Amino acid sequence: MKLLLRFPRPGHKTPRTAEVILETGAKINIDKANVDAVSGELIVDVPSDKVNSVAEHFREKGVEVRKLMKLIAWDEERCIHCGACISICPTGVFKFNPSWQIELEEDKCIRCEVCVNVCPFRALACVD
Amino acid sequence: MADTKKSIAEINERIEDGSVHVVTADRMSEIVTELGAEEAAKEVDVVTTGTFGPMCSSGAFINLGHADPPIRMQRVWLNDVEAYAGIAAVDAYIGATQVSESVDLDYGGGYVLEDLVAGKQIEVKAISSGTDCYPRKELETTITLEDLNQAVMLNPRNAFQRHEVATNSADRALYTYMGTLLPNSRNANYCGAGTLSPISNDPDFETIGIGTRIFLCGAQGHIVGMGTQHEPISRFGTLMVSGNMKDMSPEYIRGATLYRYGVTLYVGIGIPIPVLNAKIAAKTGVRDSDLTTEVIDFSVPRRERPVMMKVTYEELKSGMIEIEGKEVPTSPLSSFYMANKVADALKNAIKGGEFFLTQPVERLPTDTVCKPMKQTKELPLVKDVMIREVATISVRASIADAAKLMMKSQITHIPVTSEEGKLEGIVTAWDISTAVATRHEGLAEIMTRNVIAVDSEERLELVIRKLEKDNISALPVIDRDQRVIGMITSDGISRLIGKERRWQWKLRL
Repeated sequence: MKLLLRFPRPGHKTPRTAEVILETGAKINIDKANVDAVSGELIVDVPSDKVNSVAEHFREKGVEVRKLMKLIAWDEERCIHCGACISICPTGVFKFNPSWQIELEEDKCIRCEVCVNVCPFRALACVD
Repeated sequence: MADTKKSIAEINERIEDGSVHVVTADRMSEIVTELGAEEAAKEVDVVTTGTFGPMCSSGAFINLGHADPPIRMQRVWLNDVEAYAGIAAVDAYIGATQVSESVDLDYGGGYVLEDLVAGKQIEVKAISSGTDCYPRKELETTITLEDLNQAVMLNPRNAFQRHEVATNSADRALYTYMGTLLPNSRNANYCGAGTLSPISNDPDFETIGIGTRIFLCGAQGHIVGMGTQHEPISRFGTLMVSGNMKDMSPEYIRGATLYRYGVTLYVGIGIPIPVLNAKIAAKTGVRDSDLTTEVIDFSVPRRERPVMMKVTYEELKSGMIEIEGKEVPTSPLSSFYMANKVADALKNAIKGGEFFLTQPVERLPTDTVCKPMKQTKELPLVKDVMIREVATISVRASIADAAKLMMKSQITHIPVTSEEGKLEGIVTAWDISTAVATRHEGLAEIMTRNVIAVDSEERLELVIRKLEKDNISALPVIDRDQRVIGMITSDGISRLIGKERRWQWKLRL
């Protein structure tokens, strides 16, 4: 399960992510990190049995936590199955089925959004 | 055993009485492999091909009917996309790649064509200087496909026999007509329908000719003639096709945007190949493994790009090819799913007695070549205009040495070289001021290391693009051994262009 974490104050001295990892013992993978002057945002991949406790611990430290149910939205109506998304995806989310239609393995998505721009038919989107 | 010989008239009789045997081109490959060409020719009457891919060289002639008071349109826009109006008063040609004047690459000619076929409303604006017979100077109206007298698709170059595969060995991503190419050859994009490709099933143009009836975006269209750049001898045949947009289906015509490159149109084309004899049957037996194409390195921004290797469509369709020992994922930009759908739709139309085959009026040429452009007003090469007496400085020198050299030679950019004379970096007057302010002393600490350099054989256009893109004012010129052999500056280019009036138009000075 992937969580979207919003850190309200990036200048915070406490290493909150490290603390949550130690407290919960969860092996967290950081898929994506954006930090700027006003806020920080992480997308983390958390083993499913630890999701609730990790989310709880982050919330206790003032971090906004959202469970990402939809990592990448695919508009099948718009898609013509050209496959432009396949070779540029760094984690191999997209592949062809035997009848040359696109299939998604959504849990592989790290929301890098490269495919969103590359899709010639705007059939892909990252939504919160 | 007698050789099979059929005529198009005989096949059309079978279409009429429902006994015709039609298969798609991928099924035909299996049949020819199983039964051999002679048996396949007896068995099969028609092979249907199909392709659905980005075909930039597409567009449509439209006629709007006359306004009152009438206008002779001199410029016309459809949903803010300019169409060519340099023909009669209310005729225009809307080209697929023209981009929107308000939203740029998010909309363009390809989308206008799709929207027309989908029955959507299109905003029309036109201007004119006005004449005695056409007094109106401005026009605004809203139309749909139905309101037009004619909307005739005429695509100058479609249904490429095959296409080159694009990859990119440079260290930055490229945004091309072959899609986004990741740095260091991390992906490879290809195009074309492989075994379903129309021309690949009739590579000698024995049945495909002028007047051949085809499936064009859901309508019954025709082949007008050879496409532009038609070069069948090197297996780069192309077709010019035409069809009535009023009969088309939105499923088979789609506007598209290639990110940071431009707008295009995905066109669905299916061509029936009549299996008149065993020879034709053998050719329609073509498989993906028989079709080869070249992998091209797009990092070279020239007409002739280096060929990295040859591959077959079978390899491309496996999803992975090996380039210089590395596994590289592939993407087709054309849709095999839709190509199959086109071939199936054509098959069903023939079986259903709705689509009859035609005898070409004339055969297409098989000996034309695609020549490069004749260029008579060229900007010079880098080597023709570069400064040859270049002051360079050793990477071991001090900042004070660099400052002295700048003063002495009256320059603001000095290439920094290794002991072997290879380019290591560049130092500018700005770097020196920064170094003084931050109390650095060694040149190696403050120079720019990722220095952009150019080859002496490059055209000046490409150098100007580099200078503008990275907002820099001087570039070292290097040879194959990375040794600095010259320098090219934006000041120098401006002076040169200033002297040569014939180059000014190129640079909008």
